[in-house]
Amino acid sequence: MTKGKRVLISGMGSELGSLVATLLEQEPAVGEMVGLDIDPPRRRLRRAHFHRVDPSDRRKIVGIVRDVDPEVVIHLGVWEPDARANPRDAAQWTASAAIGVLGAAATCPSIEHLVVRSGVSIYGRRRGSATRPDESVTPDPMTPFGRTLLQMEQVAERTQRTADVPMTVLRLAPVVGPHVPSPLGRLLRLPAVPVSALADPAFALVDDQDAAAAIVAAAGRRYDGVVNVASPGAVTAIKAARMGGRIPVPLLGPEWAVARFVTGVFGAPIPPHVLELMHRGGTVDAGHAGDAIGVMPSHSTPEVVQALYEWATVVHLRPSEAVA
Amino acid sequence: MNRLASAGAALHRQFAGTNSVDEWGMDADTVGLTRFFASLRWHTDVVGAAHVPPRGPALLIANRRSFDTTPVLVATTLGGACGRPVRFAGVPDLAPLGPFLRRSGGVIARPDEIAGLLRAGEVAAVWCTSPLLDPRRVGPAPLPYLEVAVELHVPVVPVAVNAAPLGRRARVETAPPIDTSKARGPLATTELAELVRRTIQRLTDEVNPLARLPFL
Repeated sequence: MTKGKRVLISGMGSELGSLVATLLEQEPAVGEMVGLDIDPPRRRLRRAHFHRVDPSDRRKIVGIVRDVDPEVVIHLGVWEPDARANPRDAAQWTASAAIGVLGAAATCPSIEHLVVRSGVSIYGRRRGSATRPDESVTPDPMTPFGRTLLQMEQVAERTQRTADVPMTVLRLAPVVGPHVPSPLGRLLRLPAVPVSALADPAFALVDDQDAAAAIVAAAGRRYDGVVNVASPGAVTAIKAARMGGRIPVPLLGPEWAVARFVTGVFGAPIPPHVLELMHRGGTVDAGHAGDAIGVMPSHSTPEVVQALYEWATVVHLRPSEAVA
Repeated sequence: MNRLASAGAALHRQFAGTNSVDEWGMDADTVGLTRFFASLRWHTDVVGAAHVPPRGPALLIANRRSFDTTPVLVATTLGGACGRPVRFAGVPDLAPLGPFLRRSGGVIARPDEIAGLLRAGEVAAVWCTSPLLDPRRVGPAPLPYLEVAVELHVPVVPVAVNAAPLGRRARVETAPPIDTSKARGPLATTELAELVRRTIQRLTDEVNPLARLPFL
């Protein structure tokens, strides 16, 4: 990135968006930084200007984007179902934000580069499909979240064609961390974790810090194309549950409906893309990331799971009587 | 006693969640278990296991009859003999058999799946399937997988398997690896396929021309 670039970050209120903004604030090459989201940032930002805006308020979004006239747009406005929003709002907001932010960015005269956050759910796990798809595999989503991501990528492609600038699409493995709102993270932290009795396939995750580092690296590289981002290694649901000392509960067919209801009551609903992950797996070939954006995740998938279970010990401090 | 101790350690790893699972779903403990059961099922002579490269990717191509268990035989015996897992193509994508075979090192038969394994430096095995009515004849080498090997410049290792479906004795013989670093284009791939098929046919014929009858 050359000196003093104007950067627009949509989805700045998410854990990932806030992390990216924090990292970009330390970059001398970044000038003005503006963020949008329905939720406020989860960290204290010193340089960024934040606009709290409803993703369905297209007029307001377009106005903000045109006023900023960004040179780099980092579009993180993707709502995973049952993470920060219910499935209906998540799909609606993701679609509206893509049209508003990317559509407006396409008409900005200064636009030079787009970075778009997508996800590996876009590949789909149809029977007989690739276990570990690379970027050349045609997306064939089987879940509502996967289809939302595909629609969002299609909007991004149209934006790129209109603006005629490089665009880096980052397909992230499920982003998990101790502080990340994630349906998979919540599910794995239940005392008893439902798992498939017939298949316990492997899946990969990515740590939130690694995902943020990949996004920042992509913003500086101007790679034009799709990049899978996933931590090396894999876990299965049973292995992950045991790593956290949880009890894996093997389930068959209709029992999953009961499990989804029960986990939903306990605050950990299982959206279809997580269900797909538990039954069909979710690894990707992320070997291209090193060449394309110059960074690879520093934590392995088992380390990401371990970090998920490591809660800080609560130390109860007694008021000292010696204090005057 | 050693076997009991390692089985206990494997059980402990599974219970504690410290077992290792790779991105294709292979579990080292399940590979060990499958090798143990394969040693009960087959008494195998392995010849030329040193031809499998000790490091880096390699594509093994072996003969097999339709619907037989050659993939497990090759993966367990060659994997045990060369000291590294051999990933075998042809796992059905159907639970519960598919997931169990994936745990043992299997993958579904897709060129992009094999390409991913080879890019990751693994040894993968694919098959020349013999015609159902003429099991003594080695079928054509699978061109899509050879194209992957040529594109990635991965050595190709022909493997001849002599095993009757109902018998206990088996022989797995490996020929020296074929260098693909200078191969280019569809003609080279086709010639490579023919060379592989002829090599396997010669090795199987040399051992026992009658060995491919179902009851021997």
